[in-house]
Amino acid sequence: MSTVTATGVRAARARAWTKLADVASRWAFMGPAAVILGAMLAYPIFYTIEISFSRFDLMTFGAVEWIGFENYAHVLDDYRFWSSMKVTLVYLVFALPLQIVLGFGIAFLINADWRGRGTVRALFIIPMVVAPVVAGGIWRMILDPLWGIMNWAIGLAGFGPLDWFGDPNLAMAAIVIIDTWRWTPFVVLIATAALLSLPRDIFEAAEIDGAGWWSMLWSITLPLLVPIIAATFVVRWLGAVKMFDIALAATYGGPGGATNVINLFIYEEAFRSLRFAESAAMAVIVLVLTMVLTGLFLLGTRKLEQRY
Amino acid sequence: MTAAALHAPLRRRSRLGRKIRIAAGVFACIVFLFPVFWMVLSSFKEQRDIFTVPPTLVFTPTLETYVSYMQRADISRRLINTVIVATGSGLLSIVAGAMAGYALARIRLRGAGTIGVLILLSRGVPPIALAVPMFLVARSLGVTDMHITLILAYCTFLIPYVMWLMRGFFLALPKELEESAMIDGCSRFGAFFKIIVPISMPGLLSTMIFSMILAWEELLFALVLTNRYASTIPVAIAGIAGDTVNGANWGALTAVGTITVIPVVVFALLVQKWLIQGLADGATKG
Amino acid sequence: MSGFHEAAGCVSRRALMAAAVSAVAVTALGAPSAQGQEGLGTPEQPVEVRMIANEAFANQWQTLMVPEFNKAYPNIKVTIDGVPYVELLAKSMLDATGPSPTYDIIIADDPWVPQLAEVGALMDLKGAEAAAWTDAGYDWDDFNAAPLAAGEWKGVQYGVPLRSNMLMMFVNKALYEKAGVPLPTPDLTWEQYLEQAPKLVQDTDGDGKVDAWAVDTYFVREPLTPTIWQTIMNSNGGQLLDADGKPAFANEIGAAALETHRKLLEYAPTGAVSHGFSESLQAFRQGLVATMFNWGSVYKGSAIDEKTTTLKPDQVGIQVLPAGSVGPGAHRGIWNGTVSAKSENRQAAWTVIQWLSSKEGEAWHSANLGVFPARKSTLAARPPVEWLGPVFAALQQAYDAAEKGRMWRIRHPRSDAAQQILADEHSRFMAGQISAAEALKVAAEKIEKVLD
Repeated sequence: MSTVTATGVRAARARAWTKLADVASRWAFMGPAAVILGAMLAYPIFYTIEISFSRFDLMTFGAVEWIGFENYAHVLDDYRFWSSMKVTLVYLVFALPLQIVLGFGIAFLINADWRGRGTVRALFIIPMVVAPVVAGGIWRMILDPLWGIMNWAIGLAGFGPLDWFGDPNLAMAAIVIIDTWRWTPFVVLIATAALLSLPRDIFEAAEIDGAGWWSMLWSITLPLLVPIIAATFVVRWLGAVKMFDIALAATYGGPGGATNVINLFIYEEAFRSLRFAESAAMAVIVLVLTMVLTGLFLLGTRKLEQRY
Repeated sequence: MTAAALHAPLRRRSRLGRKIRIAAGVFACIVFLFPVFWMVLSSFKEQRDIFTVPPTLVFTPTLETYVSYMQRADISRRLINTVIVATGSGLLSIVAGAMAGYALARIRLRGAGTIGVLILLSRGVPPIALAVPMFLVARSLGVTDMHITLILAYCTFLIPYVMWLMRGFFLALPKELEESAMIDGCSRFGAFFKIIVPISMPGLLSTMIFSMILAWEELLFALVLTNRYASTIPVAIAGIAGDTVNGANWGALTAVGTITVIPVVVFALLVQKWLIQGLADGATKG
Repeated sequence: MSGFHEAAGCVSRRALMAAAVSAVAVTALGAPSAQGQEGLGTPEQPVEVRMIANEAFANQWQTLMVPEFNKAYPNIKVTIDGVPYVELLAKSMLDATGPSPTYDIIIADDPWVPQLAEVGALMDLKGAEAAAWTDAGYDWDDFNAAPLAAGEWKGVQYGVPLRSNMLMMFVNKALYEKAGVPLPTPDLTWEQYLEQAPKLVQDTDGDGKVDAWAVDTYFVREPLTPTIWQTIMNSNGGQLLDADGKPAFANEIGAAALETHRKLLEYAPTGAVSHGFSESLQAFRQGLVATMFNWGSVYKGSAIDEKTTTLKPDQVGIQVLPAGSVGPGAHRGIWNGTVSAKSENRQAAWTVIQWLSSKEGEAWHSANLGVFPARKSTLAARPPVEWLGPVFAALQQAYDAAEKGRMWRIRHPRSDAAQQILADEHSRFMAGQISAAEALKVAAEKIEKVLD
């Protein structure tokens, strides 16, 4: 049995103290974010869940009596909800991959080492900054069958005018175009930063070994970029699900609901029809679905990250 | 055959390839900027010239839209408010978010991963559902129509994004960076601020730009949580666009749209300079 | 030190006593008149009144209307916050249902009064309390019945009409002449209108391409679009709700009105199916369409203001919409001034909107800001500017038609939800996704559930 000396005890206490300090300093990194978000979001999320299970009283803007899943039943019964989910799915399937691929592609293009690189990169941000309402409005002007420059240009090429907002498919295409126009610059922004942070020595070594740019891209650049691509995709996916102001400004959700994405529908139910309880139920459903799908994405990207 | 001769055609090909790359990049830039150009052009037109068939490029320009509208909707005060709120929430979110992202990427911590995922998933809640309860809380605390309320509200959606993006950037860094510093006696915080942050400047700055832009154009929380003192530009824009009395004043809409774009572009151009500077430093440090 | 405290304590206690005594004296002595003076403010202690209104006219009122009001009541400080139209109802409700609302005056759009009234947010403007503050010459009966009814719910008058607006038919006389079609009159029927429409789709510059059409109006998916359908239906005797408050539009009249609304698309510009308020306005102002069904308030910007329109004043005509079997069509859209029931400055608030809707106030309002009046006396008097002449005449016709046919949106605390349902089904029909009968049936079922 070892004798416990005074210095031994002091040393043990010192070790325990540094261990505590170490854990504290680790947690301190997470601290500010967790505190701010916890304080700001706890009540709103709780409130939303509560009123989704209750009858909502406009006089007090609060829940009045517990009615269980009745609001959910109403929502699931409403054809407009399902139609809206389908529209959102179509929009996501087209818009997301397009933005990621286009964004990284353009980042690669403008990353070439030349004088105007910084200016081009800075200018590229501009579409992101245009307010969604204004963006929707400008594109409405551009795509308008009567006044739009797009149809005028198409006319010059010999084709007939396209009814961008009257045809459901073209209206969806219009939404995808506008959203891609607004958000590809974001992907470009992040991708440029990622490309710039890539260590140069690997590329130089590969070049000396005679690798062509295609094989360099495939076996070096892409694997190194996987964490960023995955992060960008997740951020974009979460942002795209919440899109509603572009649809509102450009197509008003029409024609006949063909571009009525789920968040636009929730907004209409809350602010126009003042049906806060049903709107909250829909929000919870969307939250659960988003959580499940995001969880799947994260699992998938973790596997990818481990591979590379 | 010397190595130089072997590589000569490669170099020529890559020079041409480089030219094509640059040209393609510039072309993409022009395509993306065309609608913005259209917007700026329209802001100088009289109302009646904006909707002509076919669209006009030649017209008598007027500054009146800018002059008259600037006073009408209290644009100058709203612009200042938007700058305050965007800067405040941008800075706060980048600090809190980068630290959290670092925690997720580099620090082994039980439970941090779960918290991180939870934070990210909080983005799944449709913001419309959050706006009303936030207003109710703000009202009971008496903090409606204040800048700080808006800044904190914006942080709720900025921090998750910043955290997740920075996590991605931090994961790409070589693992030994801070360990060697800490062995030399640096604290974890010290290692973070003195080593990690400078090296990830491109990512940090880009994420901050993104964060400030998101805050700059946020509409829903601004509508619900402010009345007049902290009202922001997006509210003014929504008011112009949804004008149910006189009809959407497209001249004013494009004018305000142009005004809101300019500060951010200037900011981004400045930041780009630091970005390139930081890279040059990073490159020499190797 | 302690002496000072004692003295201070003594002084403050004495001050308190004095204050209490004087307070009792004041309340005991000059109660009604003193209260009246305080309610309207004094130069040392002005009353502050806060108003929430549509962003579209909030600033105009703040900079032009309030100074004029202050000439009559210098001690009432009015602050107006503008909110975009789409969020105005939600924000008003959020504020009004709170424990101590920020706003003393709520400017409510036509169908919102029942909702605000049902949550107890509004003051009775004809009740005893308000009557004590109402000017003797105010004259409630001078109001046209249709606009005044917009502020009434369950027999109580909660609002006064401040900005009256009606759906009207705007006419481009030049295009009619070019097509050789006689100009419309208030007797024009829908059948005649539809007969003339094909001739109004013309090629005006002879280049082989059609560049002028017969009509443009609301077609897009939005809450105000069904008002066009409703106007057609009302003019043929149809109603939205029956006497029991149940949907009464799912019948042949309603279906025929839907078909007529969609038929208009055949004579409307390319892409009109996505046109709403702004687009139809631009089409008319660019001289591309012969007629437009839109809100009368756009008249100035469409006929007079050179900066926004290519048309000249003598080119533009204005009248009621075509007539059905019962009479001409119109639709009401009134902005009401209401006073918050929980406000601490009810007297001052009522004074503001009372002034604006009084005979003098209305005359000033319409002369200087071009706002449409609701009083018979203002409409009958000589218009302040010449171009308002035909507008006033058309407005009076519209009021009479609207009152006769009850041509307004559903009045019910859940009217907005009902209007959104109408918008959804109407849009599906216009897109050709369902038949008219089906659209009306679905709408009627959903609305019945919502109104329950």
